Amino acid sequence: MSQPLSAEAARARALLSATARQGRGKMARPVLLGLASIACGLAQAWFMAHLLATLLGHGASGWPDLMAAAALALLGIGLGVAQERAQADAGAAARAGLRRRAFARLLALGPADPRPAGERAALVVDRIEALDGYFARWLPAAILAAAGPLLIAVAVASEDPLSGVILFAAGALVPVGMAITGIGAALASRRQFDALQALSGRFLDRMRGLPQIVLFGRQDSEARALGAAADELRGRTMRVLRVAFLSGLSLEVIAAAVLGCLAWRHGNLLVGGHPDPQAALFCLLMVPGFFAPLRAFSAAYHERMAANGAAAALAPLLAEENAETGLLLAEMPPSVVVTFEHVGLTYDPSRGPALRDLSFRVLPGEALVLAGASGAGKSSVLRLLMGFARPDSGRIAFNGRDATSLRPSELRRLSAYVGQKAHLFRDSIRNNIALARPEATDAEILAAARAAHVTDFADALPQGLDTQVGEGGYGLSGGQAQRVAMARAFLRNAPLVLLDEPTAHLDPGTEAELLDSLRRLCAGRTAIIATHSPALRARFSRVLEMADGRASVARMAGE
Amino acid sequence: MSAMLRLLLRVLGLWRARRGWLLAGAVVAGLAALAGIALLALAGRGVSEGLQNSALTAGAVGSLLLLRPLILVRPLARYLERLVTHSATFRALTDTRIWFFRRLAERLPAGLGLRGAGDLLGRIVSDVEALDGLYLRALVPGAAAVAVVLALAVMLGAAGPGLAAVVALPLAAALLLPPLLAPAAGRAAARVAEAQGQLRVAAVDPLLGLEDTLAANGEARATDRLMRAGDALAQQQKALARRAAWSGASGLVLSQAALFGALGYGLAGGEGAVAGSVLGLFLALGAGEVLAAVPRAGTALAAASAGARRLFEAADTAPPVPEPAVPVAPPTGHAVRVEGVHFSWAPDRAPVFNGLSLELPEGGRLALLGPSGSGKSTLATLLLKLAAPQEGRITLGGTDLASLSGAAVRSRIACLTQDARLFDDSIAANLRLADPAATDAALWQALERAGVAEVVRALPEGLQTGCGEGGARFSGGQGRRLALARALLAPAALLILDEPAGGLDPLAERAFLETLESATQGRSVILITHRLLGVEKPTRILRLVGGRAIPAMG
Repeated sequence: MSQPLSAEAARARALLSATARQGRGKMARPVLLGLASIACGLAQAWFMAHLLATLLGHGASGWPDLMAAAALALLGIGLGVAQERAQADAGAAARAGLRRRAFARLLALGPADPRPAGERAALVVDRIEALDGYFARWLPAAILAAAGPLLIAVAVASEDPLSGVILFAAGALVPVGMAITGIGAALASRRQFDALQALSGRFLDRMRGLPQIVLFGRQDSEARALGAAADELRGRTMRVLRVAFLSGLSLEVIAAAVLGCLAWRHGNLLVGGHPDPQAALFCLLMVPGFFAPLRAFSAAYHERMAANGAAAALAPLLAEENAETGLLLAEMPPSVVVTFEHVGLTYDPSRGPALRDLSFRVLPGEALVLAGASGAGKSSVLRLLMGFARPDSGRIAFNGRDATSLRPSELRRLSAYVGQKAHLFRDSIRNNIALARPEATDAEILAAARAAHVTDFADALPQGLDTQVGEGGYGLSGGQAQRVAMARAFLRNAPLVLLDEPTAHLDPGTEAELLDSLRRLCAGRTAIIATHSPALRARFSRVLEMADGRASVARMAGE
Repeated sequence: MSAMLRLLLRVLGLWRARRGWLLAGAVVAGLAALAGIALLALAGRGVSEGLQNSALTAGAVGSLLLLRPLILVRPLARYLERLVTHSATFRALTDTRIWFFRRLAERLPAGLGLRGAGDLLGRIVSDVEALDGLYLRALVPGAAAVAVVLALAVMLGAAGPGLAAVVALPLAAALLLPPLLAPAAGRAAARVAEAQGQLRVAAVDPLLGLEDTLAANGEARATDRLMRAGDALAQQQKALARRAAWSGASGLVLSQAALFGALGYGLAGGEGAVAGSVLGLFLALGAGEVLAAVPRAGTALAAASAGARRLFEAADTAPPVPEPAVPVAPPTGHAVRVEGVHFSWAPDRAPVFNGLSLELPEGGRLALLGPSGSGKSTLATLLLKLAAPQEGRITLGGTDLASLSGAAVRSRIACLTQDARLFDDSIAANLRLADPAATDAALWQALERAGVAEVVRALPEGLQTGCGEGGARFSGGQGRRLALARALLAPAALLILDEPAGGLDPLAERAFLETLESATQGRSVILITHRLLGVEKPTRILRLVGGRAIPAMG
């Protein structure tokens, strides 16, 4: 948003035209079919002009001509259907390509992206769907709007040059009128899309917190606030449409004027007896056909503006697109020595550094417990090890090699990680565990579930491990959800174990049981565990006390 | 068909308050269409009369003179039509959104549960928006087309009933296409909407659990799932587009039939039929433009009814606890009695409570202990009237909860739930959810009591600092304390704190629990926790075991 709009618009346009170029083959088919359909319309009008002239006493055509015209009409309709199908194909192909790229970028940005999930999902769903009109309708319509009327004007000019000139002139005026009205509309369209996105973000946010709203009895005022937001959106959208519809208005004025001019021209000729009545009728009959591609263009113009707005939001995301850099692991090391040397990390300069000058080393078979008040930087250590953030200073080494030179996804292959707010997906308990290693056998999943004490409660459920959980673990208590998340770490079977508050939400009894299996999980592996729990600290020998982003006291058990 | 009609009538019922705007749009659309027909008919008549008589007759001149004002009226009417119909649609859709939000607050108060936030977002945004097609692409073009066909039938009927039959009948038949084609298009549209919902879920799911997806190296699987959902959507959209193309084509065939009908009438009828035939030809040409939009109205009808079906399906979920027909006045006292309560979440689930009884006098502080899954949070749900016991009763101030309205119960009982969410709004706005009238001083006091005032004071924007989605701006412990401050701010006589110190470090936990007595200031408190630190000073301690509460030592 801070970028000047022209640069932003240019990037949006570049994205759209680059995508169009890639799909050139698919984009050409609807245009060719559309031109063929227009040619059918011309031939049909020629036959009909002769029929009409015959009726009016000028010429001699009859039923065979009527049949020919009808056949041409059917052929034209058939070509139109084929054109629509070709358009749908072109749009779908373009969307699929863009969706894959945008989603890859969102995954690469990772949890550091501050935008709400709903807003990010809107980028790969709504914004990309909004581009469909550009590829499926606007592009073919734009080409047909230039080529179709030209074809018709030439045909008309060959029958009556002055009528042809009138059509040429009108055809030239149409884009002028649209361009004038289109500039303002393009600006307004961007604002409308921002409003739409904010509205959908607000709905998701309020829906996810619906229980809180109900508990505090605020549903009425929230409904009013949502109404006000929707009203504001209506105001913005109507401002866009007032301008956008002007392009339709200019087209209608020109179409009506052309009809008037042609009627007047051929009416005036009549005073002296019309020299070529068939030509006069042919000109008049072709007026709707002349404007049909322009009308389709005008309708699709709206789509282009919508697409520009969506493309402007996508362009910054896709601009930074580059092949994932960093090294791949030659082979999976059986064990990992983790070394932090003077590591510093700052998320947001205004809030000060999250980590400063932090150094420690953890050997295979060791478990390092990170302790300290909330905000002391415990989670940041784990985030760095997971590649969710990059250190600003200092060095992180795995087995002596710089860890940041590894591709983030490779870094993560080394670790079993359970975050503070581990997310359970709307799926069965079994599949939620299997997420950590999809190729795991049922026996392995069961073993992991048992180790994390998931089976303690799952066995009592009618469907056991196949019980469905709701999004975010709905249907399970906080402690149960935590155990499912822990089961993932058991199943993962990675040399490095990273746990953030593994026993939060657990009662002391369950915590004690889980701690036993936690020790088994850490045995022989390198483990780093952030926790508040005194019980957990008591179980492990090495504790690093953190305060304000640095180590305050390191102590070994027994010291 | 009748199911679709019922759905659409129910949508129209939701829009009742906006009928002035909606009707105005349809009327303007009809007038604009008639102006278009008149334009073409007059131009055609002027020229053909002139041709027929090989001179500019009075009739021709009259037609051509009349043309001039119409040249301006027609575009202006079209512009006005678009503005009025769109404005009407947006108003109607706003009403629908709000209605839906209120209904969900009433029907699904305990949360989204198995429905999923992504799916719900899809429902609200796309399904509500699909309803605009009902008005903009079905009712409005339908009104315009009916006006045109009627005008045509009247004008041609005057010229000759035979002519009216060959021209107006195919056009009238085109009017029947939408209702005939709608059911099949409806099934296709339902499949599109379904696929769209699946696509949204495939996008939202991995993004909501992004850390976990990345930690499991699940990028490729998530991308595959998204692309498969995208392909499935494209297939369904293509099927729908194909259907729309064919219904459009059938409409074109009918309007071409009208055109050829007029020509054929002239060819067959000889001299006398010519004037009518020419008029019919031009009228059919003009009507073709208006009717071109009609067959696709079937697709729009279908899409709207598919959206409406999903909206109503979510909105018609039975409320978890029926409200009493005539709620009694809220009691003045707030002592709580739970008497012999039996409860299970579903008939096939193990019971959570098996004759649970407990008592909490006014101003008492009850600590409720028990392992996870023992039903501590379920008791909070029952007390808040978000679920109802299958047996036994719960009274507040001596009045059975069943005879009180849910809102009255929740205005007396505030709860800090385990998953208390912060909204993507300022700290002040988040706190005022509990008490909209609270002064800044009251907000600071609540923050102070929750032990988070210092953190907020250190922020450059203070109370106006945004919390981010789900409180993402803050650490887990800080977010928890902000939620606690919100619960403390609520002007309720009874406070339920479900693991209030969860996610706090031990020092902060102890510091908070020590101040619990002064923070809650003479209100009744139910403290739900795994363990006591010995500083909470509860007046009573109960342990939940086997679905009953038994007295316990700290």
